[in-house]
Amino acid sequence: MNMRHAPWLALGFTLLLMVAGLPLIASGYVLAVAISMLSFTALAAAWSLFSGPTHYISLATVAFFGIGAYTAAIGGELMPWPLVLVVAGLVGVAVALVVGLSTLRLSGIYFVIFTFGLTELVRQLVTWYEVNIKGTVGRYLFLDIPQAVIYWQLAVLTGAVLLIAWLISRSRLGLAARVIGEDETVARHAGIDTTWAKITLFAISAAFMSVTGAVMAPRWTYVDPAIAFNPMISFQVVIMALLGGTGSLWGPVLGVVPLVLLFEFLTANFPNAFNILLGAVFMTIVYFLPRGVVGLVQDWWPQPVRMPAVTAPRIVDDAVLAVNGLGKSFGGLVAVHDLSFRVEAGQIVGLIGPNGSGKTTVLNMISGALKPDTGSIHLCGRRIDGLLPDRVATLGIARTFQLVRVLGSMTCRQNVEPAIAFRARPSSGNALDETADTLLARVGLAAAKVHMPASQLTYIDQKRVELARALALEPKLLLLDEWLAGLNPTELEEGINLIDSMRREGLSIIMVEHVMDAVRSLCDHCIVMNAGRLIAAGQTTAALADPEVVRAYLGGPDA
Amino acid sequence: MLLLDIVLSGLVLGGMYALIAMGLTLQYGVARIMNLAYGEFLVAAAFLAFWMFTGLGVSPLVGLVVAVPLAYLANWAIYRVLLVPLVNRAKTQGQLEVDSILATFGLLFIVQGVALVLFGGQYYSYGYLSIPVSILGTTVALNRLLALLFAAIIGVGLYLALTRTRTGTAIRAVAVSATAARLVAIDVRTASAFAFALGGALVAAGGILVSMFLTFNASMGVIFTMKALIVVIMGGVGNLLGALVAGLILGLVETAVARLLDPGLTLAATYLIFLAVLLVRPTGLFGVAAR
Repeated sequence: MNMRHAPWLALGFTLLLMVAGLPLIASGYVLAVAISMLSFTALAAAWSLFSGPTHYISLATVAFFGIGAYTAAIGGELMPWPLVLVVAGLVGVAVALVVGLSTLRLSGIYFVIFTFGLTELVRQLVTWYEVNIKGTVGRYLFLDIPQAVIYWQLAVLTGAVLLIAWLISRSRLGLAARVIGEDETVARHAGIDTTWAKITLFAISAAFMSVTGAVMAPRWTYVDPAIAFNPMISFQVVIMALLGGTGSLWGPVLGVVPLVLLFEFLTANFPNAFNILLGAVFMTIVYFLPRGVVGLVQDWWPQPVRMPAVTAPRIVDDAVLAVNGLGKSFGGLVAVHDLSFRVEAGQIVGLIGPNGSGKTTVLNMISGALKPDTGSIHLCGRRIDGLLPDRVATLGIARTFQLVRVLGSMTCRQNVEPAIAFRARPSSGNALDETADTLLARVGLAAAKVHMPASQLTYIDQKRVELARALALEPKLLLLDEWLAGLNPTELEEGINLIDSMRREGLSIIMVEHVMDAVRSLCDHCIVMNAGRLIAAGQTTAALADPEVVRAYLGGPDA
Repeated sequence: MLLLDIVLSGLVLGGMYALIAMGLTLQYGVARIMNLAYGEFLVAAAFLAFWMFTGLGVSPLVGLVVAVPLAYLANWAIYRVLLVPLVNRAKTQGQLEVDSILATFGLLFIVQGVALVLFGGQYYSYGYLSIPVSILGTTVALNRLLALLFAAIIGVGLYLALTRTRTGTAIRAVAVSATAARLVAIDVRTASAFAFALGGALVAAGGILVSMFLTFNASMGVIFTMKALIVVIMGGVGNLLGALVAGLILGLVETAVARLLDPGLTLAATYLIFLAVLLVRPTGLFGVAAR
C-alpha cells in the first residue's frame, strides 16, 4: 500500500461504514432490498470467481445455494449458528469436488451441461430423501435471526468473497484461470495443472454460494425443495455477473444493483410476464454488452502503456534427452515405430522427414500431449513418458506449436507470465513483469508491443511471443515445431540467428523443420523419419546425403 | 410380465428420446449451436397438439403436418435473426458455444414465460387412442405404439436423407469440419441454417408424439433439453446411430428405475449413466476422438 491508494482507502472505508450502518436507519422494505442485493452480490462474485476467467459457464448456482439453505434448515437447531455456516460451506465444497472431479477433466461443454441439470438432480434427490426417509416434503424453520443480523452476515460474507476474489486474481491461481479460459492446451504446456486449478476455483466458488444459502435460509419460515432450488436464482446470478462484466472484481457489484432494482420493479408491476421480460433483458445483455459494463468502461478508458527496461541473462544447464523404443499408433495407423535417439547438452537436433512421417507425434509424446504406446523417454535420467504436459513443462521441456498458439486477448507480457509463475522455480510480484519483459526483448519483440494484445501482432511476432513463453519455463530442452515455417527471408535470417544464440547459451533444442537451409546451418545432428520409422541419423550433412533420405524426400525410381 | 412391460415402455420412451436427440445433434453437431431452449419447442408443439385436439378435434397425427413445417420456419428464423450475429461475432468455436449457450438460455426463459402466461403451471394431457393393445401377454396403449412407429419412420427417413442425398452429404461434411466443407464448395451458412431448422422440426414432431401419451406442463422443456443433451453426448456428438442407441438405453433405464425403485430417482439414474459413459469414453459411445 502506498500513498496513491490513500484516497481509495478512505472512499472504501466510508462506503463500508455506510453499508454497515444501513440497518440502523433503514425501513423494513429497504432492508429487504438491501439483503437481496448483498446476497446476489455474494453469489454473482462467487460465480465470476470461477466462470469469469475460465469461461466455464456454471448454471448450477442455486444447487449450491439450496444445499446451503438445507444445511441450515436441518442443522440450525442442532448446532451453534457459526458451525452451521462452516458445515454449509463444507457440504458445498464436497459436492463441488464430486462434480468437478467427474466433469472438469473433460471438455468445457460437458461441464456446462452437467451444471445445467445439477440443480434438478439435487432437487430430485432431496425431494426423494424428504418424502421417503423423513415423510414430508417441506420443513419449518424456527431460527430466530433478525433481518439486521442476516444483513450484517451477508455484508461480511460479500466482503469476504470480494477479498478472496481479489487475492486470487493476484495469485498464480488467478493467472492459471485466465490462461485456461484463453487456451487450455497452452495452459498445460506452460506448466499449469489445469484440472487442479479448475477444481480448486470451482470448490471455492461453491463454498461461498452454499454459505450464502445458509445465511439466507432463516428468512423463510418454511422451506421445501422447490423453494430452495428455484432455477430462477441461477439464471439471475448469471445475468447479473454478465451485465457487470466478469473480467473485473467490481463487475458483479455493478450488475447486481440495477438488476435487483429492475427485478423488484418487474415483480411488483408485471408478475405474470416476469420470465419473458427477464429473458429479454438477458438476451439484450448477451447481444449488446458481451463484456458487460466493465467492458464498456475499459473501451473508453484504455490501460496506460509503460516502457520496461531490458537486460538479458540466461541460465545454462546440463540437458540430455534419451528416447528409447518409442512407439505410438492411432487405431491401425502406426504413427511412430520403435524410435530411439539422444539429445546431448547444448545440442540442436533436427527432426526432419516428409509430411505425415510422425515428427509432430514425437514432439507430442515428449511434451506429454500424447502418451506413448511403447518405449521410454528420459529427461536428465528421469523418466517422463506418460506424464501430463504440465508436469513435463515444470520438469524442463518447453515447446512451441506448429500452428502458433498465443492467448489472443491477453497482452504479450501476460502471455509469458503464467509460465514464469508456474515453472519449477517460480517468480512472483514485480519480478514477474521484469522477467517477462526481459524474455520478450530476448526474442526480439519491440518493447512498445509488450502491452499489445497478442492477437494484434504479426505472424512473426506471435511466434516470438510463443518462443518467449517457452523460454519462460527455464527449459532444459526446447521443442520447436516448424518455428521457422512461413517467415520471409529477412525474418528467417533473424530467426536462425535467434535459435543459434540460444544454443550458444547452452540450451538443448529439438527442431522439427522443413527449411533445409536452417537445418544445415543450425543442427549438429539430424534424425530423419519416414512413415513413422527412423531412416537416418547422425551428422547433419551425412544424414541428409543418405540415399534413403533423398528417396523419401524426392521419391525413388519406384515411387 | 413386469420385465416385458418395462422393455416395451422403455423402448417407446427411448424411441422418443432418440428422435428428440437426433434434432439436437443436428443443431449442435452441424450448426454448432448449443441450444438450451431446445426443449421449449417440444413443449410448444405439445401444447399445439393439445389445442388442436381439444379445441378443433384434429388428430395429433394430422397435427404433425401443421407443426413440423411451422417449427422448421420458426427455427430457421431464429437461426437467421438471433444466431447468425453470434456466429459472425465468434472468433473461435469455444466462444460460439459460450455465446449460444447464453443467448438460448435467455430464449428459454422467454418461451417458457409465454407458455406460462398462456397455460399456467398445471399439467395437461388428452386422451387420444388410449386403447389397450395386447402384445406378448402385456398391454400397451395404442397411442404409444403409434408414437414409436412414427418416431421410427421419421428417424429412418432422416437417416436415409442424410446418407443418400447430396444435401445430406453436405450436412455431414459440415458436421465433420466447417472449414474443410467450404473448401469443397459447400455453402456452410445455408447448410447450418437448414440443419438448425431441421433440428427444430424434429423436436416439434417429438413434442406432438410425446403429448399423445405423457402429461406435460409449461416448465417441462428444460428436462427434455437436458435428456436430449445427455443422449447426444452419450452417443457421440453428430452421430445419429449413437443418438438412437443412447436414447434407447436412457428410455430403458429410466423406465426400469421408475418401476422398480422410485419414479423420483429417474434423473439421478440418467446422470449416473451419463457420468459412467463419459468417464469410460469421453467422446461418447460412438464418438470419434478429438473435436
